[in-house]
Amino acid sequence: MTKRLSDLSDEELIKIYQDENTLEAYEILVKRYKDPLMNFVYRFVGDRDVCTDVVQETMIKFYLNKDSYRSFAKFSTWIYTIAANLAKNELKRRKRRVIFSIDNSDDEKSPQIEDKMFLAPDRAADSEIRNEIIQKALLKVKPVYREVVILRDIQDLSYEEIAEITGLAIGTVKSRINRGRIQLQKLLKNIYKE
Amino acid sequence: MSEFYKNEEEKFSKLVSDLKTLPKIEAPDNFEFNLMTRIQNKSFGEIRDSRPAFNWFKFLAPSAAVMASVLLFFIFYPQREEIPTQIVNQKQLIDSQALAGKSSDKKFESLFSTDDKKSSIKKSVESNSNIAQTQLPGKRTFPLNQRRSVSVDDYISGANSNQNPSARSSIVNSGDEPMVDGFRIENKLDKKTIEKFRAELDSLKKAQLKADSLKKAIK
Repeated sequence: MTKRLSDLSDEELIKIYQDENTLEAYEILVKRYKDPLMNFVYRFVGDRDVCTDVVQETMIKFYLNKDSYRSFAKFSTWIYTIAANLAKNELKRRKRRVIFSIDNSDDEKSPQIEDKMFLAPDRAADSEIRNEIIQKALLKVKPVYREVVILRDIQDLSYEEIAEITGLAIGTVKSRINRGRIQLQKLLKNIYKE
Repeated sequence: MSEFYKNEEEKFSKLVSDLKTLPKIEAPDNFEFNLMTRIQNKSFGEIRDSRPAFNWFKFLAPSAAVMASVLLFFIFYPQREEIPTQIVNQKQLIDSQALAGKSSDKKFESLFSTDDKKSSIKKSVESNSNIAQTQLPGKRTFPLNQRRSVSVDDYISGANSNQNPSARSSIVNSGDEPMVDGFRIENKLDKKTIEKFRAELDSLKKAQLKADSLKKAIK
């Protein structure tokens, strides 16, 4: 009895896509990973439109470079690596754009959002505001720490998977997660007072 | 070590649970449609930040310019520093000899001034400066390249205006001819002048001999 494509594992699907160039297998993988990648990239970059572009690029890279995937690795770590690299490139590009921007006229500035980091704790209890505050604080954490904290605490990946995605040793991953959390807690001291 | 990280996890448990409960961001509805349209249209050209391939020519032009400027600097930079040469050493030697000669001349004269009888000898003796100052008639310019030539006299006296180190060899290889076989003689001297110089030299030698014999007699 032949299995349906949707029942196959990621690794089996990519194998079929690599061998037979079955577009259906590709589409199933896109369906499986578009949301987790959107979530990861959004938490890392903090912009919805940019995040959509980055994930689109990730899927295009996957489509074009399917043969660069090696079967001994997990498909999830491979696709996360592509997305993480593109997201980091995007951050660098944005940083450069800010530095070299000559025209800093007030008209072109995006509307300033009130800094809710300094709100009273009772107001911060509201979950929506709380989530917004956490996201803002997350974007203030150093990118090297932010990446691993998101992968561990938001995407729920194992230390081994994070090490594979980032290309770091497990010890380094653990220490970076720890430092990232410390930074985040410091930034959120109004919420975690007690 | 794992115990340490376990404790840390507990320490940040609130923060971690908050992070885990953050709302999940989902892809827009048209995400797949847009993606498949791009794939079907083969419009993959939006991969931004595509840097141009490494180009050696970028480095070639500036490096060539730097190399050329360095070479030109070493070739044409006028070197002010005096490099001791044989000619300079000879100049110093001549200076010291001239000083010695002057002092000996004075002694020589004082020696003869005491003796009235030998006044005839005094007349025949002339200082070397007189001979040196005698200018030869009809100074003629040689067919030499002025830019590449260095006057030896000027070079010795230090009045040489051409300080170009590359022209230093021109002292020997002066002019357009690659090699100079010895020094050029301006004019052929006539017999009279030669005899005159010879007589002067002979008189000097005689005077020197007499002076030596007098010195011995005084001792």
